[in-house]
Amino acid sequence: MNQQPPASPEPSPVAHLEFKAALLLVLLVLLLVGSVLYVMYARGVFEATQRLVLVADDSEGVTVGMDMTFSGFPIGRVRRIELAEDGAARILIDVPKKDARWLRESSVFTLVRGLVGNVAIRAYSGVLSDPPLPDGAVRRVLVGDATAEIPQLVAATRDLVRNLTALSNADSALTATLGNVQAATERLKGRHGALGVLLGNDDDAKKLIAALDRTNALLARVDGLAARVDGLVAKADVQVFGPEGVMPETRAAIVQLNGTLADARNTLKQADKLLAEAQAVATNAKVASADLGTLRAEVESSLRKVEHLVNEINRKWPFARDTELKLR
Amino acid sequence: MLSRPGALTDMGRAVLRWFGGWWRIIHLGALLLVLALSPSSYARANRAAMARHIYLGTAPILLWFTLLSSLLGLILIRIVVVTAASYGLSQYALQMVVRVLVLELIPLTAAIFVALRIGLPDGRELARMRSRGELDALRQQGLDPLRHEVLPRVIAGAFAVMMLAAVAGVVTLVLAYLTVHGFTLGGLERYTRTVGQVFTPAVTLIFTIKTFLLALAVSLLPVASALYDLPRGRTRTSAELQALVRLFLVMLLIEAASLVGNYY
Repeated sequence: MNQQPPASPEPSPVAHLEFKAALLLVLLVLLLVGSVLYVMYARGVFEATQRLVLVADDSEGVTVGMDMTFSGFPIGRVRRIELAEDGAARILIDVPKKDARWLRESSVFTLVRGLVGNVAIRAYSGVLSDPPLPDGAVRRVLVGDATAEIPQLVAATRDLVRNLTALSNADSALTATLGNVQAATERLKGRHGALGVLLGNDDDAKKLIAALDRTNALLARVDGLAARVDGLVAKADVQVFGPEGVMPETRAAIVQLNGTLADARNTLKQADKLLAEAQAVATNAKVASADLGTLRAEVESSLRKVEHLVNEINRKWPFARDTELKLR
Repeated sequence: MLSRPGALTDMGRAVLRWFGGWWRIIHLGALLLVLALSPSSYARANRAAMARHIYLGTAPILLWFTLLSSLLGLILIRIVVVTAASYGLSQYALQMVVRVLVLELIPLTAAIFVALRIGLPDGRELARMRSRGELDALRQQGLDPLRHEVLPRVIAGAFAVMMLAAVAGVVTLVLAYLTVHGFTLGGLERYTRTVGQVFTPAVTLIFTIKTFLLALAVSLLPVASALYDLPRGRTRTSAELQALVRLFLVMLLIEAASLVGNYY
C-alpha cells in the first residue's frame, strides 16, 4: 500500500469504512475498560475488607501489595506500612470480609524471611471455634529469620538423626522391645490369651485353670456343708434351749448342788470337831515324848557308868597285858 | 575543527538549529493536540478521512502483529517459567513474565511496528504531497492541510500503537495463564492476584503514560520531519532515515524514563 502513486488523493474506497473504524475504536475502548476493571478487581478494589494491624520490630522486606497467607492461600494484602510513635513498624493489612472468618482471636501471625530474602506474612489459627478477629485488631507479629536458625537447625537435626539411627539399629533396645511386644501379642492371640502373657508359659496357665476349677468344686461343697451346719445349728438350738433341753436340767442340777453343798458344810464342821480332838491327843503324845527324853538321858548316863566300870575292870584286870605301853 | 575560523559560530548555529527543530516538533504536537480536542475536527468530511486512516492503518497489521507478539511472548514465557522453576522460584515467574512482556516489551514492539508500517510511510507520503504543492493547493482552497491531511494520520498512528499494545497485552496475559496453569480455571484467582500485585497504581500510571507518549512519538515525529525542513546538519543520510533515528532516540528516552520511574 506504500507504493501507490502519491498523486492520487482518493484511494480505492473501502466498504462500510466508518463502521469498521468505529468497531476498532469500540474494541480498543472495551479492551482498555476491561483491563482497567480487571486490574482494579485484581487489586481488590471491589472487595469489602476489614483492617488488621500487625506490629513488628522490623518491616524490612515487607512491601505494599504483598499477600498475607493462611494455609498457603492469600487472604489479605498489605495496604500500608507506617512507623508508630514508639518506633515499631505498623503493617496495615486489608482482609476481605469473606476471608476474615479464618482469622480468630487466638490467631498467630508470623513474618518469615526466606533464604533469598523474600518475606512472607503468614497467619495461623489453631482454634477455629474461637470468636472471630474484630475489625481494626492490632496484633504483634512473630518474626522468624530462616537463615539465622539454619546452623542450629542443622546441628539439632544431626543429633536427631543420630538418635534415630541408634534407635533403629538391629541390636537396639527399641528393636528388642518391639520384638518382645510382638511375641507378647502373638501369645495374646494364642490359646491362653492374656493369662499366657502374664504367667509366661502354658503349663502354669494350665495349672492355674485347674486350680480355678478345683476351687469352684470346693466352693460347691462348702455350700453343701454350710447348709448342713445350718440344720445342725437349728437342732442344737432345740436341744439346748428347748423345753426338754440342756438348760432347764442344768438349772435343776444347780439347785441340787446347792443342797449338797450345805451337807458338805455340816460334814466339814464335824470334821473340825474331830480335828480338835485329834489335837488334844497329839498334845498328850507330846508330853509322853518329853518323859521319854528324860528316860533316855537316864539310860545314857547309866550306860556311860557301865562303860566306865567296864573300863576300870579292864585296867585293873591282869588278863589284858598288852594294853600297857612298853618303852625300849 | 576548532582550527578553522568561525567553527565556533557554526557549532552554535547548529545547536540553535537543533533546538529550533525540536521546538517545531513540539509546536506541531501542541497544534495537533488542540485540533484533536476541538469538536470541529470531527466534522463529516474529516471524519471519513480519519476513519479511512484508522482502519487502513490498524486493521491489516493487527492480526500479524498479534500473531508475532504471541509467538515471541510464548517463547519468552516458556523460557522464564522453565528457568524460574529450575531455580525453584516459580512463584516469581508469573510476575516476571507480566513485568517483562506486558509492561516493557509489548508497548515498545508495538511502537516500533507502527513506526515502520504506518508512521514512516505516512511521513513520506506527506513529504511528497508537500513537494508537489498539494498541501499548498489545499490551503488555497481554504482547507487547513493540518486538519485534513496531518491530524487523521497522527491520530491513526497513535490509535494503532494503543490498539496493538492492548490486544497483544491481553493475549499475552492469557497465554501466560495458559502456559503456567493449563486449560483450567482453577488458577484464575491466584493469577489475578499476581497481576494485581504487578499493577500497582504507580506502575499502571507509568505504563499508561509511557504507551501514550510512545504512540505520540511514533505518529508525530515522521510527520513533523516531512512537514518541515528540519535541520539535517552535515550528515548525508536521507531525511527519512534521519527521522527514523530521531524517532528511535525519543523512544529510547521514553523507555528509559519509564524504567527509571518503575524501578527507582
